[in-house]
Amino acid sequence: MIDLRKTDPGVTIAEAAFPAPFAGTLEYASPARGPWNIVHVGMLIPESRQIFACAEGCLRGVVLTAAEMGAMDRFSTVAIEEHDVLDGDFEEMLVDGVSDILNGLQEKPRAVLLFTSCIHHFVACDLGYVYGTLRRRFPDVDFTDCYMTPILRQTSSPDALMRRQLYAALRPMAPDPHRANFIGGATSPAASCDLREIFASAGWTVGDITECKTYDEYLAMAKASLNVTMIPSAKPAGEELERRLGQRHLYLPVSYDYNEIDTLLCALTEAIGAPVPDTRAKREAAETALRQARGTLGGMPVALDYTATTRPLGLARLLLEHGFTVSDVYADGFTADERADFDWLRERVPSLRVRPTVHPAMRVQPRDHTETLAVGQKAAYFTGTNHFVNLVEGGADGAGLWGYDGVARLASLMADAARTEQDTRSIISVKGWGCCC
Amino acid sequence: MKKIAIYGKGGIGKSTTVSNLAAAFAEMGLRVLQIGCDPKADSTFLLHPDRPSVPVLDLIRRGGNFSLGDMVTEGFGGVFCVEAGGPAPGTGCAGRGIIAALEKLAEKGAYEVYRPDVVLYDVLGDVVCGGFSMPMREGYADHVFILTSGENMAIHAAANIAMAVEHFAGRGYARLGGLILNRRNVPREAEKVEELAGDIHAPVVGALDWSETVQRAADENKTVLERFPESGMAGEYRALARAVLAAAEG
Repeated sequence: MIDLRKTDPGVTIAEAAFPAPFAGTLEYASPARGPWNIVHVGMLIPESRQIFACAEGCLRGVVLTAAEMGAMDRFSTVAIEEHDVLDGDFEEMLVDGVSDILNGLQEKPRAVLLFTSCIHHFVACDLGYVYGTLRRRFPDVDFTDCYMTPILRQTSSPDALMRRQLYAALRPMAPDPHRANFIGGATSPAASCDLREIFASAGWTVGDITECKTYDEYLAMAKASLNVTMIPSAKPAGEELERRLGQRHLYLPVSYDYNEIDTLLCALTEAIGAPVPDTRAKREAAETALRQARGTLGGMPVALDYTATTRPLGLARLLLEHGFTVSDVYADGFTADERADFDWLRERVPSLRVRPTVHPAMRVQPRDHTETLAVGQKAAYFTGTNHFVNLVEGGADGAGLWGYDGVARLASLMADAARTEQDTRSIISVKGWGCCC
Repeated sequence: MKKIAIYGKGGIGKSTTVSNLAAAFAEMGLRVLQIGCDPKADSTFLLHPDRPSVPVLDLIRRGGNFSLGDMVTEGFGGVFCVEAGGPAPGTGCAGRGIIAALEKLAEKGAYEVYRPDVVLYDVLGDVVCGGFSMPMREGYADHVFILTSGENMAIHAAANIAMAVEHFAGRGYARLGGLILNRRNVPREAEKVEELAGDIHAPVVGALDWSETVQRAADENKTVLERFPESGMAGEYRALARAVLAAAEG
């Protein structure tokens, strides 16, 4: 018998393969989830209702999420039982189930996100017929096809699919040449974000679904002539809207490399006709914040995870270049954006440990690194520290961190976390912490 | 684009008939795409015996990216041939195989790239699950033709298939184009098939005689139209092709 407690599944970055450092295994799901799930993301559409159609066992997680969010009044289910599989008319079952739910509501939602599940795809449920029938039956409701199909996750990312479908109800509108959207992120970039300053300097307004209070505000996102995405899983949404609505898509990934940040800022200025910004002051402000944080942390080791930022290796590199002690990066794989940082770290810091989050041995690894500073919920959970920056998908305290402003704000949050302990357990036990829906 | 699905009881001669129809359509100057929806992956064999198709399911199983060209083999008369494939006998889900293959063909743009005038879906046996009804759906076949003999089991299967088509009629799925009689020379054969046609309110659009010519061509891994183009059976297939096209106009 293998004693998992004696098995450290981590590797040094020198030993790690890119982009998949670990072999696939039975997967462990830690209590620290980090990013939002499909329920959280879908709830961003105001005045919408979610309907999940699947077996009761699969409903548990999404029901708990909705309940935890206090959003059960916008959530319904259609439970599939064995006799439904034997009887076999999934199309009628979906149409009738959704119709019953909607007919039972005093007020119809403006939009319904109907989540089908693995079984619908196994049996080739004719979703075209289902949605066509529902749209004819409820012409005032926008129906969006959504998917809870974990069994397909290695061929199509449920996360990316959900972010794409989040905008599926947008219909063509007369474009406003000075209007843009940030799309696909769970938090809107901070008011002081470098990108917002550039948009403002050129007289552009920028929308974000996280700021929409009504369904009409959501629909008005179709007026934008430009969409900006900042994380890989949002790219399909940007590409789809460019194809469908003709909105230009600009991918400006989160970066911790000053030269890359400058390049990305230039790409934005070029796209919207804004003057190229002088970033020297912002760069200096980021440097100052990093120096101050470094002084506050002293030699305190830092552990990062992939749920905190889509570029944990880039962040590790930034911190190491500024004298921080980075001990561990928790990540099960890396995105293509991370290649240059991976190579740099392998060469310069080959002993940096990369640790998985889903390997079964992580269930029983000691969580006693209480003097570590963790950036990200999974890093906090696996180290057991209360020195914790609750950075989720590049956002903290309801604001997305991007560019020089993001670096400075993150450094400040790290300094705060080094000085003040938090009740990590109570924070990370809430799914989708910080969800503003 | 005419999109036609041929259903019928297993062993009734669907693949042989469909391949000869494909060859006849090609001879008429039409671009033809024949899609075998059978886990045995032998629908199009007579059209390209020396270069067997790699079934779509095999390509999917191998993983990695593959192109539309990997799925399609050009056969006799320039017929574009695809085999859905499926799991090993006794394992997996054959219906799921058809679903995956048809979805993959659409995803890769097969209909836009090859721009066929006629698409022929050769579908295994009876309609046994959602996967086997997939070719009937909106976006796939517009007309279903059922191949049957006068044997009771073939007629029973044909009636079941007709019921499935009727069941889905309200959904905008394929319409029943008619029956094709593939004679086995059993007693009262034509009469029994006409009775069935009356019951299901569909015409008998054509009939094929039982002929050793078909078997001799198959023994040489060829369609009748390729091996015995001047034969009477070749003429029957040509006549059937015209009749099917005419019925699919309706």
